[in-house]
Amino acid sequence: MHVLVGTVCSGKLFFVHNKGQVMRRRSLNMPGAIVRVCALLFLAASSAVAQPVSEPWDMAQVVKVWCSGDRDARIASFQSLLEDVVEADGPARQWAANLIVQYRDGNLSCAQDTGYIPAGDQFLDVVTGNLVEVIPDDAATPFLNIPLRRALSPFASAVQLVAAEAPENRLRAAQGLARTLGDVPPTLIERIYQQEQNNQVAAVLEGVLVPALLGSGDADAQLRAINTLAGNATRKSRATLDNFLAQEPAALSGPVRTAAESARSSVHWVIQVSEAMTVAYHGLSYGSVLFLAALGLAIIFGLMGVINLAQAEFVMLGSYATWFVQEALRALAPGLLEFYLFIAIPFAFLVPALVGAFMEWSIVRHLYTRPLLTLLATWAVSLLLINLVRVTVGTQNLSFLTPEYLKSGFTVFGEFSVTWSRLLSIFFAGITLIGTLFVLYRTRFGLRMRATTQHRQMAGCVGVSTRRTDAMAFAFGSGLAGIAGLALSTIYNVNPTMGTSLIIDSFIVVVLGGVGSVLGTALAALGIGQLNAIIEPLYGAVASKVIVLLAVILFIQQKPNGLFPRKGRR
Amino acid sequence: MRQFILWICGGSKVDRRYLGVLGLIALVTLGLPVLGLGPLANTPLGLDGFQVNLVGQVMAFALLAMAHDLVWGYAGYLSLGHGLFFAIGGYLIGMHMIKLSYAGETGVPTFLDYMGLTEFPAYWGGFEHFGYAFIAILVLSALVSFVIGFLAFRSRVVGVYFAILSQAFVYVSMLVMSRSDTGFGGNNGIADFQTLLGLSLGSIEFRVAIATVSALVLMIALIGLRRLTTGPLGKLLIGIRDDEDRLQVLGYETLWVKTGVWCLSAMLAAIAGLLYVPQIQVASPQLLSPIFSIEIAVWVAIGGRGYLYGAIIGAILVNIVKFWLTRFMPELWPFILTGSVLFVVVVLRNGLIDPGPLFTRAKALLPRRLKREKT
Repeated sequence: MHVLVGTVCSGKLFFVHNKGQVMRRRSLNMPGAIVRVCALLFLAASSAVAQPVSEPWDMAQVVKVWCSGDRDARIASFQSLLEDVVEADGPARQWAANLIVQYRDGNLSCAQDTGYIPAGDQFLDVVTGNLVEVIPDDAATPFLNIPLRRALSPFASAVQLVAAEAPENRLRAAQGLARTLGDVPPTLIERIYQQEQNNQVAAVLEGVLVPALLGSGDADAQLRAINTLAGNATRKSRATLDNFLAQEPAALSGPVRTAAESARSSVHWVIQVSEAMTVAYHGLSYGSVLFLAALGLAIIFGLMGVINLAQAEFVMLGSYATWFVQEALRALAPGLLEFYLFIAIPFAFLVPALVGAFMEWSIVRHLYTRPLLTLLATWAVSLLLINLVRVTVGTQNLSFLTPEYLKSGFTVFGEFSVTWSRLLSIFFAGITLIGTLFVLYRTRFGLRMRATTQHRQMAGCVGVSTRRTDAMAFAFGSGLAGIAGLALSTIYNVNPTMGTSLIIDSFIVVVLGGVGSVLGTALAALGIGQLNAIIEPLYGAVASKVIVLLAVILFIQQKPNGLFPRKGRR
Repeated sequence: MRQFILWICGGSKVDRRYLGVLGLIALVTLGLPVLGLGPLANTPLGLDGFQVNLVGQVMAFALLAMAHDLVWGYAGYLSLGHGLFFAIGGYLIGMHMIKLSYAGETGVPTFLDYMGLTEFPAYWGGFEHFGYAFIAILVLSALVSFVIGFLAFRSRVVGVYFAILSQAFVYVSMLVMSRSDTGFGGNNGIADFQTLLGLSLGSIEFRVAIATVSALVLMIALIGLRRLTTGPLGKLLIGIRDDEDRLQVLGYETLWVKTGVWCLSAMLAAIAGLLYVPQIQVASPQLLSPIFSIEIAVWVAIGGRGYLYGAIIGAILVNIVKFWLTRFMPELWPFILTGSVLFVVVVLRNGLIDPGPLFTRAKALLPRRLKREKT
């Protein structure tokens, strides 16, 4: 047969030249059609020579059944072909895969005792292996009706799964199988699954295989499937096990039922834990955002009794400063663009801090004795900032680049996975907490700030310039809001009105935490974040806001001064 | 005559500015029918439907501002959530008009149809009667304000806490009403009103009538509140504003005074909403937007809090400027608003009604206070 192939292909020089490589894998970039034809021939030949031709490989018989057999006969033929393919090695697989795919696609023409499939601009006689220029006039494509087509396609997928080289082709074949397994025996799929190297394909196959094995009625197969499920704790596994256990008792043998029950409970446990962890993580993430937004508010409120309604707009300014840094880097130093989030930190802090300092100097310090009017004044400033940004930059959402290192995430446990961008905002919150505590408790400025917060007149008596402390604290608090804006920029929509929904939540955090207490603010933010994360999936975002507000109002009935009330006289 | 004027002024002195504002409102009350419907209607002096509508809306806003001033200017509690009560009045009168237009018919408005309902839910029952709707407005606004006020005042929530808390309430209500499945049309609110008390909403007669009624209600409310605040209750309120602890030590239970005044203010705001919504012919969550509620406080601050007529002047001035600017220069309006708020808050801290600080500015401003604290 080798000789035959040689003669057929001898006109094509490169085939002879590259024969060995073609033998190895089809991954070579050889000129398409001709190589494929020659390879096909060669494979057919080698399989015929290398191993004893079993019944379905008697091509004449196969073609006869495929062309004119009844449905059951054809399916039996597909099945035995598949069985052989699973056993066979490389070349035979290719040959069979091509044959069955050509058949599925309606390219096989049946003639007297033989069949032809197209090979380049010629035709290949599948029984003799000869190439012919024209096929006989009486050759006709066998009619595949819809049920037959449906029965055939799982086999074609399975064969491709075995034979295809490229993982994406195998993946497509596996997904085809996932739609329906048809008459393909589960044990064969299991063999294919065991041979599969690619994880992604294996995962899809597992989804095909497990229900098939469970449904096979064979206790051993069922146990193997249950083991696979237990090792893969997902919601889908749990549902599969639930369905399996829901069958009538008679259908399950004792050990299988026990195994399934224990697997179900272990999977269920893993899912429960990972669900709880996901909720906690979402709560932590939202809480850290709240904390960042509320911290500056808490410091300013604690020190001066002033609620800065423009705080949320400082968050917005922080985001815009970040965006400007990103655009500047894009224009000036594209190499550093990936790290813009870190380069922007000083800018996101300083821009709002300067605006805050100016606002304090021009407006707020005239109003220290009238906090309610300050509220209106800061609201007016927030309106001004929103409209200034709206007029100068525009109302559209800004687009932020997500650096490569923030794009993905990792799975921690079960179905609980963590995304880097959210982790970064938690990280920023943590750093800000530590930094603020450091400033408050380890610097002269912090000392003055704490003294003024505790007792303004007394602090003034011992020489603290309370007005200057106020001004600096106001700028500091505004800068903290800017950091919040930086942390939000990759996970929120950034537009001029992004802050409006934030201010009320942050104020509730301040009220709950106790005025001027950094740790109280952190705890309250985390608590409200958790509460939100728990309620929101159950009842929706609006309900979670309502419930949180009512809970906080009920809470301050009991503790009017928050979690950590300020000590001392007032 | 002097006796009557004194009765109107509610004290032992004649207050000219108060009487001036009252006279202005009386003039509007009388002028609207004359200029809008009467013999002058089609002369250049006459008002068309749009202008009548504007006057009517401004009157409703003035009533709302006065209700707000009662709490802020007198009791010293800044509410940033008065839009909530305004919206209660607006939504309930909207329900009345909708129910009326479906009286005797089967079927429901689209926003209920959307929820899968084929007939009005039980809580719509009785709303086809105006009297029922009116009482429902008073009762519901009183109830809601009582719950909020009682909870807040009992736990001694004061100052900015109270302000933000009331803002939180109005914000949350807006979120709730913005949902389509709440049953009030979601973001679009309820609209398609036909008639109110037998008059078609689009007719000039109705516009003149409701604007006149708004002005009349404003006038009556002004006189009533004036007499209330110049009496013992007013003294008590100012006492609460200036030194609540002392008042409590003297034996006054301030909780009930505050709660009562808060409820009264809420009911007035609800009536203002009742008058407002038939004029704009839609009740939507816009009424509940936090910005609108803050704007109410801004009217009062600009006009002058602590004087009922100050709030009225503020509401009228700001809204006339707003109507005018949003029509011709919409981009400019936020900047004007910001500027005037900052100007009033920093320079004219008692509002336009008291230009005193403008002239004593040099003394009142920072340097002296700074010096005093330093020494």
